Amino acid sequence: MWGAPAEPADSYYEVRPECTDVPKTRFKIKPGKTLSARKWQAAFTPEGQLDIGKTLSRIHRGGIHPSIRGEVWEFLLGCYEPKSTFDEREEIRQRRRLQYSAWKEECHQIFPVVGSGKFITAPVVTEDGQPIQDPLVLQETNSGISASSSKMVKELLSHGPLDKKVIQWMLTLHQIGLDVIRTDRTLVFYEKQENLSKLWDILAVYAWVDRDVGYCQGMSDLCSPMIILLENEADAFWCFERLMRRLRGNFRCTESSVGVETQLSNLASITQRHWAEVTISLRSECLWSCSVENFHFVTHYISGR
Amino acid sequence: MAAYRADEDYDYLYKVVLIGDSGVGKSNLLSRFTRNEFSLESKSTIGVEFATRSIRVEDKIVKAQIWDTAGQERYRAITSAYYRGAVGALLVYDVTRHVTFENVERWLKELRGHTDSNIVIMLVGNKADLRHLCAVSTEDAKAFAERENTFFMETSALESMNVENAFTEVLTQIYHVVSRKALDIGGDPAALPKGQTINVGGKDDVSAVKKVGCCNA
Repeated sequence: MWGAPAEPADSYYEVRPECTDVPKTRFKIKPGKTLSARKWQAAFTPEGQLDIGKTLSRIHRGGIHPSIRGEVWEFLLGCYEPKSTFDEREEIRQRRRLQYSAWKEECHQIFPVVGSGKFITAPVVTEDGQPIQDPLVLQETNSGISASSSKMVKELLSHGPLDKKVIQWMLTLHQIGLDVIRTDRTLVFYEKQENLSKLWDILAVYAWVDRDVGYCQGMSDLCSPMIILLENEADAFWCFERLMRRLRGNFRCTESSVGVETQLSNLASITQRHWAEVTISLRSECLWSCSVENFHFVTHYISGR
Repeated sequence: MAAYRADEDYDYLYKVVLIGDSGVGKSNLLSRFTRNEFSLESKSTIGVEFATRSIRVEDKIVKAQIWDTAGQERYRAITSAYYRGAVGALLVYDVTRHVTFENVERWLKELRGHTDSNIVIMLVGNKADLRHLCAVSTEDAKAFAERENTFFMETSALESMNVENAFTEVLTQIYHVVSRKALDIGGDPAALPKGQTINVGGKDDVSAVKKVGCCNA
């Protein structure tokens, strides 16, 4: 292995042949640097306790071999305590899988497209909870599900007007669908309908569980790698949930602000203080406004140069 | 964005916003106009992006700074900054998705609530290449545009149909509005009907006549 040339990782995340302008990944599997399956397994005691310190410097220097990336990420994201044993983790895993299926079932009961292997990209309810019969949704859901989505909503309504939280959730479902079909579309992985609907299901369940955040554009991009790396849908959900614990603040919204604005305002003041040159140059190009709202726009400008 | 060049020479800088529901093709209209690019694999827009392109209108160079935003309702929280100083807008719907046309009214209301009354608005029915899937008739859209006093065009960012025309028309109309205002002010400022002024070179205003300048800070 030592001295062997670095291997590009593109073959692990295959790109559709018609997508010719996709940049090649800069990540390379470097023997002796990248955390390999062998090194990873060697970091566990026979009971399954992980000496994560042994692996971190490799991860830092050479990344993680794609074949073990999913399981390593589970630890890095904090799904499991490194010092737990195989048995303990297995128990937690099973419990979490059950929890996920219970939530998914709740969602399925409200809106049976969840878990059906299909998804929607047009709204099914109005803001006041009235059903919408969009021909597109009928088309998207007709086969495999006995009832059409408008029938589903009508059925829901037969128990009285929809609960506000149900309406809020249902209003996000088509937005999730619209983003799912635009997430990592260059990958062969997403040519499979089942992977698209997996992404949709996880985001729909997440939106149901985390009502403060629901679904916000950008979340599909964060969820996608989990699905690619972890075959089990529930495991992927929990990795995503862990990641969202750190990031959900960015997506929370009030009447007047998007969560990420707090970060941007901090970044703005740091820049103003320490990066006078950039600030001056931005000012001179009509771009700079001291208001925080414009800062996200300025960051695009900086990163694009 | 790399397309932005500070040394470009121009006579006018106009801020134009792209608005409309998620997935109607706003970002691809922008990339088609500013870079002549289209991507079937484009991602959803997060927050705000922008690009610029200069065109010639009559004997002047007009630089369009075009802002593109996420279509999701959630991002409406940052709209006041998004609309600030805009003198033109392309209100985009997807001709294959009727609901995106139904929402045009809401977008229009929001746009008018946040911008100067002289803003030049064009209603744009995008994805016109998908004729067999068309769910919004040209007549309906035209009637709506007439009623609301906006311009109207059907475009295809994919086939590069009418994209150039739509942006050029908006920029030309803005140019006319702005130069008419300049003329009016030069002649008899008191003759300007109230509420009709177009704000150029204001403090928070991106769009400006270059010579007046918004960068004298």
